[in-house]
Amino acid sequence: MANLSIRSVSKSYGAVSVLDDVSVEVEEGSFVVLLGPSGCGKSTLLHAIAGLNPIDSGTIVIGDRNVTNLPARERDVAMVFQSYALYPTMSVAENIAFPLKMRGLDRKTSDEKVVAVAKLLQIEPLLGRKPRELSGGQRQRVAIGRALVRDPRLFLFDEPLSNLDAALRTELRAEIKRLHQSIRRTMVYVTHDQTEALTLADKIVVLKAGRIEQIGTPLSLYDDPDNAFVAGFIGTPRMNFLRATVADGGKTLHAGEASVDISHLATRLEAGRNVMLGIRPEHLDEKQGVTLSLAVDVTERLGSTSYVHGMLPSGETVVAERREDQPRFGETITLRFLPARTRIFDAQGMRIR
Amino acid sequence: MATAASDPTRHFFQPIIVCLTVASVALTLFVIWISLHDLSLMRAGREKFVGLDNYLRFFGDPRAMAALWRTVLFTTLATVVEIALGLAVVLFLDRDFAMKRLVRTLLLVPIIMTPVVVGLTWRFLFDPATGMANYLLSLAGLSQVDWLGSPQLALYSVLIADIWQWTPFVILLVMAALESAPTDPLNAARVDGAREWQVAWYVLLPMLRRALAIVALIRAIDSIKAFDLFYIMTRGGPALSTETLNYYGYIAAFTNFDISYALAIAIILTIFTNVALLTMYSVLFPKSGER
Repeated sequence: MANLSIRSVSKSYGAVSVLDDVSVEVEEGSFVVLLGPSGCGKSTLLHAIAGLNPIDSGTIVIGDRNVTNLPARERDVAMVFQSYALYPTMSVAENIAFPLKMRGLDRKTSDEKVVAVAKLLQIEPLLGRKPRELSGGQRQRVAIGRALVRDPRLFLFDEPLSNLDAALRTELRAEIKRLHQSIRRTMVYVTHDQTEALTLADKIVVLKAGRIEQIGTPLSLYDDPDNAFVAGFIGTPRMNFLRATVADGGKTLHAGEASVDISHLATRLEAGRNVMLGIRPEHLDEKQGVTLSLAVDVTERLGSTSYVHGMLPSGETVVAERREDQPRFGETITLRFLPARTRIFDAQGMRIR
Repeated sequence: MATAASDPTRHFFQPIIVCLTVASVALTLFVIWISLHDLSLMRAGREKFVGLDNYLRFFGDPRAMAALWRTVLFTTLATVVEIALGLAVVLFLDRDFAMKRLVRTLLLVPIIMTPVVVGLTWRFLFDPATGMANYLLSLAGLSQVDWLGSPQLALYSVLIADIWQWTPFVILLVMAALESAPTDPLNAARVDGAREWQVAWYVLLPMLRRALAIVALIRAIDSIKAFDLFYIMTRGGPALSTETLNYYGYIAAFTNFDISYALAIAIILTIFTNVALLTMYSVLFPKSGER
C-alpha cells in the first residue's frame, strides 16, 4: 500500500517551472530520497508534501487522505529542517513537547514522551538547555526528537545533515538509518549528497530542473541508469563520457583508438552514428579487455586505492581508479575495461540498451 | 581588564569619557544645588538655602500630582497602543504585495514631519467648526465633539496625534526585526500542528520580544519627555487638563520664573523615569544573555 502518492504535481514561479508533472509513489515504511543538484525542485517538492508550499496542479495523497488542499497542521507529517528550525526561545524539552502541546496532550503524558524520545536520541542531559547552547549535531538531534515525539504518518527530512561537519554527518547518517530500521516509518529525505542517498534510501528519486530523471533502488541507478545525467550524478568520481562512433554494421564502437564490441546491445545502431560511451572510473582497472592509453596528469591517493586523472590521445580527460600502482605525472599508462561494463548513451543523453 | 592600560586606543576614548563625566556630574550637582535653594527670577539675588523644601512642596502640590498622573497615563497609553497597533500592522503587512516599498516609504512620512507641522495639522483636523474630524463624525451621523476644547477629551486628542506620528516608527523597527528573524521555525510550528495565531503567539512573538522591548523602551522614554505636541496643540489646557509633568516644569521655569522649583520637578521626573524604566527593563529582559 502506498503511504504517500504524489500525482502529476506541477508548480511554477512566474515563467519558471520548478516542478513539472512530478509523480512518485512511496510505499508504507520505506525510505525515499529525493536527490538532485541545487535548484532541481527537491526542497520545493518536500515543502509541497508538508503543506508549506501550495502547488499549481496535481494531487498529494498521504495514507488514504487527499491532503492537497489541507494546511500543514492537518497533514500529520513531521519535518526536520536543514537549519534545525528549533524554537529559539524555548528549552529543548519545550521544543520537543511543542507538537504535543499543539495537540492538547496533557502535561504528564507529554513529559513522559519527551523523556522517552530524549533517551532514544541520547539528549536527555540537554533537556533544560536553550537551542543556542547546543552544538549543530545536538540541535539536529533535538529537531529529530521533535519530529519523533508525536508518531506522525510521514517523516520529512530537508537536507538535515548539510550544516554539519563531515564526521558528524557520517555519525548522524548512520543514526537516521538505525532509527528508520527500528521504527519502520515512511520517510522522505531530500539531499544533494549522493552518498547520503545511496546509503539511506530504499528508493531514490533523481530530479533535475523540476523533472524526474529516474526512480529506482540505489543499485539500479548505479548499474542501470536511464540517462547520462543519472549516470554522471550517481557514483564518485563521476562516470567518464567518451565520444564514439558506431562502425562495423552496428557491432562495434570506435572511441579514439579503442574498438568496443557492442553486439550485446538489444538495439541495433546504424553505422556512423555518434554516441557517448560511459565508463565508470572503477571499471577502468581490469586485468584484460579493451585498452586505452592515458597520459597521467594527477594521481589522488586515497590509501586503499588511487584515482588517476589524465588525457587520452583523443584529447578527452578521463578519471580512472588504480588499485595496484600509483603512476606519476608524465607517465603513460594502459587502462583496460570490459565492454559489458560500459553504458551507451545517444547524443541527447538517453541510454541505449 | 588588565589590557586596558596598554591599549593605545585609550588615548582616544579616555579624554572623551572624562569630559562627558565631568560635564554631566557637574551639571547634575549644580542642578541639585539650585533645587535646594529658592532661586526665582522674580526675586533675583535674594535666594537662600531651603533644603528639601522644593521637594516637599512638590508632593503637596495638587497641580504637580495631577501632572504626574497625566504623564503616567499618557506614557502608558501611548506606549501600549503604539506597540499593539504597530505589531498588528506588521503582522498584517507580513506578506509580499506589490506596493510594499511604497507603503514602507509612506510610513516614514509621519516620523520625518516636524512636531510643529504634526501638531498644527492635527489642530486643524480637530477644529470643532472647520475640522475634518467633526466633518467625518457628521457624515457618520454622530454628534460633534470639541476635541481640544474639552478637558475630558483633550489629552486623548493629543494621544491620537502622538499615536499617528509614532506608530509607524514601531512598525518600521518591528518589521526590520521580523525580516531578520528566521522563517524556518514558523514553518516548523505549522508542520507541528500550530494554527496561525499559535504560530504568532508561541514562536513569532517570543522571537520578536527583544525588538519589541527595545521599541517599547524608546517610546516610553519619548512619551515621558513629550513636549512639542502639547505645546502646539493645547499648551497644557484646557483647564490644565493636558499639562504633563514635563510641561509643568516648563511653566514653572519660564512662566512663573520659579527656577529652583522647576529644577526640583525636573529631578523628580528624572528619578521617577529611571525607576520606571529600570523596572520595565528588568521585567522585559529577565536574565542576562537572554536572546
